[in-house]
Amino acid sequence: MKVPVSWLREYVELTLPVEELARRLVFTSCEVDRIVRRGVVDVDGNYGHFVVGKVVEAAKHPNADKLQLTKVDVGDGEPRSIVCGAWNFGAGATVAVVTPGAVMPGDFRIEQRKLRGEVSDGMILSERELELGTDHGGIMLLADELAAGTPLADVLPLGDDILEIETLYNRPDLTSIYGIAREVAALTGATLEPVPGADPARDGDEAFSLAIDDLDACPRFIARVFRDVAVGDSPAWLKGRLMGAGMRPISNVVDITNYVMLALGSPLHAYDGDTLRGGIVVRRAGPKEQLVTLDGTARELDPADLVIADHERPIGLAGVMGGENTEVSATTTSVVLETANFEPLTVIRSGERHRMRSEAQTRWEKGVDPEAAALAATYASQLLVEIAGARWTGETELRAEPAPPTRIAYRPQYANATVGLEISEDEQRERLARLGFHITDDWEVTVPTWRARDVRRDIDVVEEVGRFRLEDVPATLPRRQAMYGRLTHEQRLRRLVADVLVGAGMYEAYTYSLQHDDPDPNALELPEPLSSQQRVLRTTLATGLLGAAQHNLDMGNGDVALFEIAHVYLPPGPVPDEHWRVGGIVQGDYFRARGLVEAVFAALNVEPTFTRADLARELAVAATVQSGWVATYAPGVGPEGEWSAFELDLAELFALVPERVTYRDVITYPPVRQDLAFVVDEAVPAGDLIAAAREAAGEELREARFLSDYRGDQIPAGKKSVAFSVAFQSAERTLSDDDAARLRAAIVSELQSRFGAELRG
Amino acid sequence: MDSLAAVDWAAYEQQALSAISGDALEDARVKYLGRKSELAQALRGVRDKESGMLLNGVKARLEAAVTAREHQLELAARRAAADSGVDVTIPGTPVTRGRLHLLTQIRREIEDIFLGMGYEVWDGPEVVTVWENFDALNTDQGHPSRSKLDTFYLDDDTLLRTQTSPDQIKAMLTRTPPIYMVSPGRVYRRDTPDATHSPTFQQVECLAVDRGITLADLRGTVQQYFRQLFGPDRDVRMRTSFFPFTEPSVEFDVTCFLCDGRGCAVCKHSGWIEMGGAGWVDPDVFRTVGLDPDDWQGFAFGFGIERIAMLRHGLPDLRAFWENDVRILGQF
Ligand SMILES: [Zn+2]
Repeated sequence: MKVPVSWLREYVELTLPVEELARRLVFTSCEVDRIVRRGVVDVDGNYGHFVVGKVVEAAKHPNADKLQLTKVDVGDGEPRSIVCGAWNFGAGATVAVVTPGAVMPGDFRIEQRKLRGEVSDGMILSERELELGTDHGGIMLLADELAAGTPLADVLPLGDDILEIETLYNRPDLTSIYGIAREVAALTGATLEPVPGADPARDGDEAFSLAIDDLDACPRFIARVFRDVAVGDSPAWLKGRLMGAGMRPISNVVDITNYVMLALGSPLHAYDGDTLRGGIVVRRAGPKEQLVTLDGTARELDPADLVIADHERPIGLAGVMGGENTEVSATTTSVVLETANFEPLTVIRSGERHRMRSEAQTRWEKGVDPEAAALAATYASQLLVEIAGARWTGETELRAEPAPPTRIAYRPQYANATVGLEISEDEQRERLARLGFHITDDWEVTVPTWRARDVRRDIDVVEEVGRFRLEDVPATLPRRQAMYGRLTHEQRLRRLVADVLVGAGMYEAYTYSLQHDDPDPNALELPEPLSSQQRVLRTTLATGLLGAAQHNLDMGNGDVALFEIAHVYLPPGPVPDEHWRVGGIVQGDYFRARGLVEAVFAALNVEPTFTRADLARELAVAATVQSGWVATYAPGVGPEGEWSAFELDLAELFALVPERVTYRDVITYPPVRQDLAFVVDEAVPAGDLIAAAREAAGEELREARFLSDYRGDQIPAGKKSVAFSVAFQSAERTLSDDDAARLRAAIVSELQSRFGAELRG
Repeated sequence: MDSLAAVDWAAYEQQALSAISGDALEDARVKYLGRKSELAQALRGVRDKESGMLLNGVKARLEAAVTAREHQLELAARRAAADSGVDVTIPGTPVTRGRLHLLTQIRREIEDIFLGMGYEVWDGPEVVTVWENFDALNTDQGHPSRSKLDTFYLDDDTLLRTQTSPDQIKAMLTRTPPIYMVSPGRVYRRDTPDATHSPTFQQVECLAVDRGITLADLRGTVQQYFRQLFGPDRDVRMRTSFFPFTEPSVEFDVTCFLCDGRGCAVCKHSGWIEMGGAGWVDPDVFRTVGLDPDDWQGFAFGFGIERIAMLRHGLPDLRAFWENDVRILGQF
């Protein structure tokens, strides 16, 4: 919200410099994004260059058809010669003049200069140049009774400091200038002026037909009728205020509704009374009902939308925007003014459905003080009478039984125990009172209506006093009775896995949990994804890693090896099973990927077993291993070249990790080492041979290591030679040559009988 | 006997040692220990025990010195032979190594700081119920974060968590206080990706539940943490804020670590950097998880990992974290 400081000053005295006020509000009340200047800067006597002028002569510029050459009396002797591009005035007009030496908004300096051969000793101003309006059709005409030389600052709001604040969700009371003034009063101790506005004299007794179908969604509606309204331009002060607050002046009637909304926080709407067919009904929209809103958009209403209707058709989307069919226009003479209460959720849902956003809606969504409706009606009535010459002729109000005020049993010590700072009872009482709370002697706190949504419990009252002292809160630490602080077993192993892969030359990647596609047809899909690239909750890390590999290849990066440790989301839903996985992708063959998996298993003290598997059609070579898989992508899948990948489920993998490793004596008695080579059918996996050898030799086979896999000379067709080295060792005694021979014979016979393997000589 | 008496054996030994330590070792050995040396001649004439001990002592020491010197010279010779003018400025044999992602490095650093302060690290799921993400955290029905325009829903009751705060609820439902935990992890919001927004990012949640916890404890803890992360001179300030699950709620700022609080472009010349949100755990949240707010109090705070990474390492674009270009991954 944009807060013109001059407006704020109308309701509360500002004793602090604006910068200091902003700094303190940031701690106690709201974000202040910045302080900006609207209009003319008030430094180094700049305002002195802006004066009222009387046009003494005005004629066409001798050398330019589109310019006027004028003489203007600014009360300092000889009238000045000023060249002007506007034609909406002539001799005798009272105008706003700026003289050379002045600095205009936008840091533009006025100098005496020649325009097409004629001296221009200043400039006649338009609204737009003073940031008082957006109209650039002509210069600003002032009241004729003003004397030449009168300081313009006495007549117009020349300039203003604007606080740009962001209000918090729980502070709808700060979406009005008066609400901010109240906050400033509580912060600085300054006196708060009474709420602006006094009802004008009633001038007529018109009945107005009003009905509310849904008192839950619209608990209050005040309709006031005005006659003889003169729609026109707003006075400069009003335009200056609106411009400062970031709203465009439209016409006096519309400007008044906006002005009062900004002043008091309760949105208003003005209908052209002559366009209303019958009275007003607040109801839900009918099926297929249409409304063209003020932004010019035709909308089909939803039966859940709350609408303001006359007796024939909708005339506004409640709390969001009015309709074109009853819009106030230049010819309007009769106005029906709406102030109301709308419940936030109704407005939020309508706004969502129609993708709309308006100043009024923003306020209703956060919750408006229900009492402010009457105050807003009063203030707007006063301004309609004063500014638009209206007669107030009628009023109808409907209201549900208002909620009783919130009363809270409070203990001032609670604030101290929560904040960790001693805040005296007097200070608490004073602060609350300034915020509009009523406090009895025994600390029963009554909450003002404008805070009723947020302040419901004693802890909410604590915040009201505590937030003013946040700068003073000391820094202490909890006094702890117990201390702990270590990673879980699983967390430590997860770090270990990452460190092993980094040590093995891999880079860690972060890829999205939401992918464009997933191999699991049951993978959970977002009903409304942000993009087709991120629509499925992945069941594998492989998709994201393929994408990351591709990106690196596209960037021309060589020798890519990436891994990721992250969640996958396993169906069925609605809440999937989330598992930590490690996945990797490397440029290279199956054995490069498998080597990395082996490194992980070795670090975890788990012996991996790889089994050939037919996993997916995208994979050319694939094997399962405990907790996951290793594979090479088929050519054409994924990036150019040969790529291999792996993925392991970490919970399954970590379940295999021995709780603790117990000492084995591998020192006392020496091992006996031998190399064995067997000729077998090509189809027999080397891993199966070694596994069978382990089984056959038992405990005393301490190590069996693959050496080679050979086909060719001396090996019959369809056969291969598989060589591996073994180490026999006992923890109890030195193994003799006989022991070694026995173990070797056991292996040979086992492999012979299971695989038809022949020991090579 | 005359010859023995005539020689100053201490001076003889000194001269011999000095000669041995020179380059002409063999000459020195012949001269002082050889068959014709004064020492050898004198030893041959020794008759009494005292003189024998003296001269044999000199001989033994000189022989030891010769051996030591021989060894020294041999080593020097071997070294000279091995160093055939190697250019030591040529790079070493390459060892392939990778890198942890910058976000993991920072996440670990954060975890380690909290572990050191006696907090446990909690891993929570990313797909949670609406109850866990909003209802249990006191978020009213109208709160904008519930909107389908801001949050990824799987169905009416299930969503991708918008914050790590559901882990507070899960921790309090499964742990008996006192609880001191941090929970780092991915969170999701419907933000169109740009330099400073991503639909996925990492947050860290911190929760302390104990007896007599105050906002002062919050400030102290946040301050300790950021001093570990950014240096000992950092200060922390709290400003009023709103979060549905804390009351009072605050935002906290840390002294800008790029300009030491003097003001720079990064801190918008304020000297402070916004780091995250925090507050005193709302008593209604305790009630929701079955804890008595008269017995237990707590604080919670949360902040983003990417923001710290970007500020500290000067990364201009958040999307770089997800592109996994090894030229960037390899820098950190
Ligand atoms: Zn800075």
